Amino acid sequence: MMEGSVISLKDMRKSYGDFELGPVDLEIEPGYVVAVVGPNGSGKSTLFRMLMNLARPDEGTVSLFGGAYPDDEVEIKQKIGYVPEHSTGHDEMNARALGEFVSHWYPAWNEGRYRELIEHSEIEPDKKFRNLSKGMQRRLAFALAAATGAELLLLDEPTDGVDPFARREMLEDISRFVGDGENTVVFATHVMEEVRRIADYVAFLVDGDFLGFYEKDALLDGWRTMWIEGEPDTPTPGIVEKVTGSPTRLVTDSPEETEAALANQGIRVIRDGPLDLEEILGHLMARSKGARERSIG
Amino acid sequence: MSETSTDGNANGTNIPVRLSMEDPEPMYRQIESQLRDFILGGQLPPGTKLPSVRALAKDLACSVITTRRAYQDLEGEGFIRTRQGMGTMVAEITEDRMSRHRREPVEGAFRAAIRAGRRAGFSETELREIFSEALEDSKSNAQGGDR
Repeated sequence: MMEGSVISLKDMRKSYGDFELGPVDLEIEPGYVVAVVGPNGSGKSTLFRMLMNLARPDEGTVSLFGGAYPDDEVEIKQKIGYVPEHSTGHDEMNARALGEFVSHWYPAWNEGRYRELIEHSEIEPDKKFRNLSKGMQRRLAFALAAATGAELLLLDEPTDGVDPFARREMLEDISRFVGDGENTVVFATHVMEEVRRIADYVAFLVDGDFLGFYEKDALLDGWRTMWIEGEPDTPTPGIVEKVTGSPTRLVTDSPEETEAALANQGIRVIRDGPLDLEEILGHLMARSKGARERSIG
Repeated sequence: MSETSTDGNANGTNIPVRLSMEDPEPMYRQIESQLRDFILGGQLPPGTKLPSVRALAKDLACSVITTRRAYQDLEGEGFIRTRQGMGTMVAEITEDRMSRHRREPVEGAFRAAIRAGRRAGFSETELREIFSEALEDSKSNAQGGDR
């Protein structure tokens, strides 16, 4: 089962009224942590719901572990631990009862792991779900998903409402889940620090548009900001933003080409530095919007 | 929540790498430069077994692509070796390479200082004066302890 993709989406589309998600083409290999990033209302939860067969694509295919819904539904879902955006039906149950309930559906349920996560998260086992804090509810939902014995975790904003210290512990739990490369995690977040910390790959989703799937380190290396003295030629390769001033600040998506071109033009780079993920996402959004306007206009 | 350190692992030396989220340097470079310092400083002598790429990622709660990249770069520079079935260990480093790596960061720092000086408009003579003064200062601060 280590061969091939854990998740394979081909030309997947879904629309609700005005909202259109996709087309999404995505292949996720086992052993990695993938962050799904984008503003609220971009279709992240819809994507997760489609991976769980809670929503069906209008077009295209969704395949998990080489199987497809509905034929392989039971087999697929026994390999998935899912933390939805909102846990439903949990309110009146405590951690103990929830563990018993969920364990029933998963043959590979790991009770030891569940207890360990509950204890380590300091969740009171006899307190009803609805009486737990938002952060504790998220950690309990994560514990339930991680103890299923799943090979894939689908986590829809698992750290939403979790305080910074607990968040750090959750990130460690997520990293630990991947183990020696047999397990896979797909999580939605808008906390870029989480992405920078634990993600191997980033998938950007904005207004239903899939803006691409990137290896995180390569993406971070692919953009730089430079402060220069003088005025670069137009066009100079790689420059995607220029704030004229003294000094002028540039943003480039091809640092080496830009640097070489500036050197040729006799322009001195005073300093340069990396771009953070928020800024990169901003540029990717602007680029996709520009492309769309050009195709409409 | 901005820092994490390794808390030991079963299949390799406990290496005290720390990652800082405040540091704008990519995380793989943070890992590389810390390991390089420990290797050059002799804290991780040749033959020391290092954690696997997976184990290090787990310990640091970071991406496995990040740790793999750090190891690949260090391997390319000859600091570590990976053998099939044996894992990753610190390589024997030749005297030549050792002295070059000792020199490089120092030279780099001097070059940066010279650039900063020129930007501020100091002449060569003035730069030499600043350098001599700084050297004298550090001597008196070390109370004659020459290292």
